[in-house]
Amino acid sequence: MPTPSLQRLFTAGVLLALFAPAAFAQVRIVQTNSQGDNISLIDPATNHVVAEVKGVPINHGAAASPDGSRLYFSSEAEQTLHVVDGATLQLTKKIPLSGRPNNISISPDGRRVYVGIVSSPGAVDVIDTASLERVKSIPTKGGIHNVYVTPDGKYLVAGSIAGKLMTVIDQKTDEPVWTLFNEGVRPMAFETNPDGSTKRIFVQLSDFHGFAIVDFAQRKETGRIELPNDIPADKVDKGPFNASPSHGIGVAPDGKTLWVTSRPNARVYTYSLPDLKLLPNPVDLGGRPDWVTFTPDSKLLYIATENTDSVVAIDVAARKEVTRIKVGRSPKRNITMVRR
Amino acid sequence: MLLVPAMTGAAGQKDDLPDGDGKTILLTSCTTCHDLTEVTKLRGFYTRAQWRDVIVTMKEYGAMVDEKQVETLADYLGQNLGKK
Repeated sequence: MPTPSLQRLFTAGVLLALFAPAAFAQVRIVQTNSQGDNISLIDPATNHVVAEVKGVPINHGAAASPDGSRLYFSSEAEQTLHVVDGATLQLTKKIPLSGRPNNISISPDGRRVYVGIVSSPGAVDVIDTASLERVKSIPTKGGIHNVYVTPDGKYLVAGSIAGKLMTVIDQKTDEPVWTLFNEGVRPMAFETNPDGSTKRIFVQLSDFHGFAIVDFAQRKETGRIELPNDIPADKVDKGPFNASPSHGIGVAPDGKTLWVTSRPNARVYTYSLPDLKLLPNPVDLGGRPDWVTFTPDSKLLYIATENTDSVVAIDVAARKEVTRIKVGRSPKRNITMVRR
Repeated sequence: MLLVPAMTGAAGQKDDLPDGDGKTILLTSCTTCHDLTEVTKLRGFYTRAQWRDVIVTMKEYGAMVDEKQVETLADYLGQNLGKK
């Protein structure tokens, strides 16, 4: 018969075991460095780089399994997908790809990683995460720069600069369903309906300083918003910007705001959702911004600035810079990883 | 165009690339779109065929190079930044 104190200890242990996964979920901002072979992991609690993944030369895209047990990175230099253990951060496998990769994405169930193949004729490589093999290459019109999985997991959305096309692909059949645009398609962000289905896609395009609005159900573009020209002419960065003056866009996880970066203005602008009203107080970034990612609670936003080798942490509610964090060479893509 | 300027990139940095027909093409076709480091970051990783693949992608993106220049550039990059 256990004593009362032992019983209390046992109860505390059970409670700890029950709630530990939630309590100890570990959030990391995973920041690729496009001209290096390392990836920087930032702890949003301290805004310091607390770990590094090494040995992924000229890393481009990043994805994390839903439980954070694995990370995936595409390497432009080696034309491979690197699989990294989420706990040890050690490489576990390199998967050969069908061509030169750009960005990658993972299905919400973690079973498939999709890799945009930018070299001609273009494809989306499909990686089965159980076998860690490339099981298919979905042909596309033009090389793929970015590939996304819609938040409900039902569709892939692939953007091509060369093909000047956004292609929506059925995730079950791997067959294209519909296409849009006749312009180079760059980063995208997704707004969802209450049931999780895709409501709108906000799409950045080649040589356009802003974004297009795509109604997913109607399968058509419903408008475009150009970012403000609110910087004195002598302060505007003249580039070059890879024909992509606006190359970073994200919907906050709470769905309340859309954040869009400007390279010429070195700023990020915020729009309210769903009405797309420009909010005051754009945040100065001090360099050419690239990709954006949020903490799951929508409190913090992280923006890579490629020509300063740093990441700017921003308070979402206040729309103010919190700090700048030095990372590796030419940081671009980033994601948020949660280890449970 | 994913190629290189002569003495300075947009950031004003000097390069260490030798002169040649390929370099002349680089000087006139590339840094209107991106910095020098977008090319030199891949030093030592690609074969001539892979460099050619990159040039073809850039041509598809709108780089103003003709077919003969594609081959000249592929030769140049394969020789000077190629996999050894």
